[in-house]
Amino acid sequence: MDFYFGLIQLIGVHTLLGLSAYIVLLTGQVSLAQAAFYAIGAYVSGMLTVLAEWHIVPALAVGGLAGAAAACAVGFPALRVKGLMLVIATLAFGEGVRIFFFNFDYQIAKGDIKVGPLGGEGFRQIRFFPENGWTTFDVMLFIWLFVVLVMALLWWFDRSRYGAVLRAVGEDEVAAQSVGVNLTAVKVSAMTVGGAIAGIAGCLYAHYTTHIEHASFNVLVATFAIAYPIVGGLQSVFGTLAAVVFVQGFLVEGLRELGDWRNLLFGALIVLAMNLRPQGLFWRRGA
Amino acid sequence: MLELKGVTRHFGGVRAVDGLDLLVPEGCIFGLIGPNGSGKSTTVNLITGLFPLTAGTILFRGERLDDLPTHRRLQKGIARTFQNIRLFGRLTVWQNLWVAQNSPEDRARRSFFARWLGGRRRARDEIAHLLEFSGLAHKADEFAANLSFGEQRRLELARALAARPRLLLLDEPAAGMNSEEIGQLRERILALRARGITILLIEHVMELVMGVTDRIAVLNFGQKIAEGSPAEIQADPVVRKAYLGGGAT
Amino acid sequence: MLDFLQAVSDGVLFGATYALIGIGFTLVFGVMHKINMAYAAASIGAAYSGLLLLEVMAGAPPAAVFACAFLAGGLLGWVVYLACFHFIPLSHPLATLMSTVGMLLLIDEVVVHATDGMPQNYPAMFDDVMLHAGEFTLRGDLLLVFGVCVAAMACLLALLYRTRLGLATRAVSQQPIAAQLCGIQVAQVNAITFVITGLLGGLAGAMIGASVGTLSPLLSGPLTVKGLVVTVIGGLGSIPGAIVAGLLVGGFENVFQLYRGVTERDLYVMLLLFAFLVFRPGGIFAPRGGRD
Repeated sequence: MDFYFGLIQLIGVHTLLGLSAYIVLLTGQVSLAQAAFYAIGAYVSGMLTVLAEWHIVPALAVGGLAGAAAACAVGFPALRVKGLMLVIATLAFGEGVRIFFFNFDYQIAKGDIKVGPLGGEGFRQIRFFPENGWTTFDVMLFIWLFVVLVMALLWWFDRSRYGAVLRAVGEDEVAAQSVGVNLTAVKVSAMTVGGAIAGIAGCLYAHYTTHIEHASFNVLVATFAIAYPIVGGLQSVFGTLAAVVFVQGFLVEGLRELGDWRNLLFGALIVLAMNLRPQGLFWRRGA
Repeated sequence: MLELKGVTRHFGGVRAVDGLDLLVPEGCIFGLIGPNGSGKSTTVNLITGLFPLTAGTILFRGERLDDLPTHRRLQKGIARTFQNIRLFGRLTVWQNLWVAQNSPEDRARRSFFARWLGGRRRARDEIAHLLEFSGLAHKADEFAANLSFGEQRRLELARALAARPRLLLLDEPAAGMNSEEIGQLRERILALRARGITILLIEHVMELVMGVTDRIAVLNFGQKIAEGSPAEIQADPVVRKAYLGGGAT
Repeated sequence: MLDFLQAVSDGVLFGATYALIGIGFTLVFGVMHKINMAYAAASIGAAYSGLLLLEVMAGAPPAAVFACAFLAGGLLGWVVYLACFHFIPLSHPLATLMSTVGMLLLIDEVVVHATDGMPQNYPAMFDDVMLHAGEFTLRGDLLLVFGVCVAAMACLLALLYRTRLGLATRAVSQQPIAAQLCGIQVAQVNAITFVITGLLGGLAGAMIGASVGTLSPLLSGPLTVKGLVVTVIGGLGSIPGAIVAGLLVGGFENVFQLYRGVTERDLYVMLLLFAFLVFRPGGIFAPRGGRD
């Protein structure tokens, strides 16, 4: 049973990661920096619960704020460049953050062991959940509480004028400017909300796996973050959720019997899906 | 209302607009005509701030616009339509108008929260009015990309009006329209002026320009070669030469 | 000081491979305004294909392996074009970005599958040659890598600026619609561009294998990042820019590897990129701003 709880936890965290890219993609920006905000949320909140012995809830809030602050800081200079330049600039930022954590040591002695991030070794023993007696089931519920909250928030955005403005900027920046939309404010706000969501996802990830390292936040993770909403389609938040279930549930876990072959199938299916449904698998009506 | 003083814009070595002086008085319909490539659309882009000026200055209601970004100029009361229609195709007609509600009046009337995160019910009345005015009420929930050409033109005009402009820049609004549609457009333009909106009309269709404008300026190679009432312009030999010699449309 | 010079020269020589990868990204960008994320992976894949020759013909000379990688690269380029670009409408830029990412994963996995994930030895030429000038040395294999890359670039420039095909390619990159009206088959030019960039990539992959001594699928991720960094520093769409930027990045990273170690090295490459994005976003040879 714990296997399924574990899978559902993973799907929850990846859904949050995908949603953090979803809101940025609505404005037509492709950000490969989501893995960096995810890493920042993970390391910051992990250090708070392990080194400063905070409770998970305030640590999660600070992790989310740290992700948001980093995204906001990246947003201002990065959004001056457009399109493919932005893809590469954010990719480089993401790699920069990953390499930073690869070289980041901050350990303190706690009892007879040392805890804290240790460069390439990673950050082990983020044991808030087991130390406080949370079961896998409790953790799963905790993660999904945030998935539901974030999905509800983004769904609400989509129904509001803010959502329409985000999509308008994604469609035509010149026209949006010309009807009075402040492009910088809108894009940076989307980036900041996305950073906060990624930071929260990173915090949850760090605490349920109990061990993070720089490789958990590489380009592949950043690519998955944008892949979920693109494969699922940008029509609504449910496309992202469906894509995560499809990829992590069906392709990665469901096809486990295929062994190594499922990895081959995975790339091929993405190529096929984009050829057949360039607007995303779960995009229905529309222009 | 709007005053351009020595407005100049170079693209590399090309002088798209060269030392243009223009005075558009409040409440008038001002025509801007000229052969293709004479700098009309560039002038609109300079007034709305899509391109920076190379030289010169632009005053709107006595205030310098030169350094304001595009969206701030809209909030001062300058809205526009595009020569090649630029709607938000994957948004509905209703959403296209909703996005454009950025005027100071809208900002003052509602809280930040209601303006950005409120549902569509809160904005219903004004948008219903705009839909009525442009004859699109029955298409409110259609995607903009699925509208016919004429409907898209009307929606673009409605979207500009959603920003409650004092000055409206119309960049070839009649392009591709038949004469019945041009007649309707003319009625709409006159109705807008009656509401106190000043209009700068850029147009090739002489039937429309000569019929509605109070005053016309003629551009050729980025420079103003004539200005006057429609009758004076029609009689002007320099204008005739520019059109006949410069490739009339 | 000597260490510094040695690091710069080794880095610049190896940087020629980055330049080739950068050219591949930049050519596709120039013609289609798209990024082919699968490009570096395909280049490494093509270099692996060169090893197939050693399977069937043990003891084949390294030059034959390189040639095999070169041709395999062209073929892979065509496959990538068909699978990721040909059938997807231009109006869906996200879809082609994603399809090439899928292709990247697929190629990597095929390689992992075929080699059980073990790094493979790669043949080199002149690896026993050392040119000495005092204590300063030039490695023969790196010189060969540099020479081959420079020759490939020269051939490419000749192709682009001296032949009708090159003219058509440049026409498509500047005015795709006008080019189509002049009777140029845009889809065909696009396909040929992918084959040409694939050939260059195969060669670059083989040269990387030859100078590192081994190939591993782990190379494709960092190489993708480096190639994109080179493309941006050189200016998107600029071939001379990609060449200069490739050599620059090669020298730069090797210097930082010397002074700051291999784990921190790439951090400084990213900082270099940010410096360019902030102070010179158009790249080394920023084109003069035209209309719009």
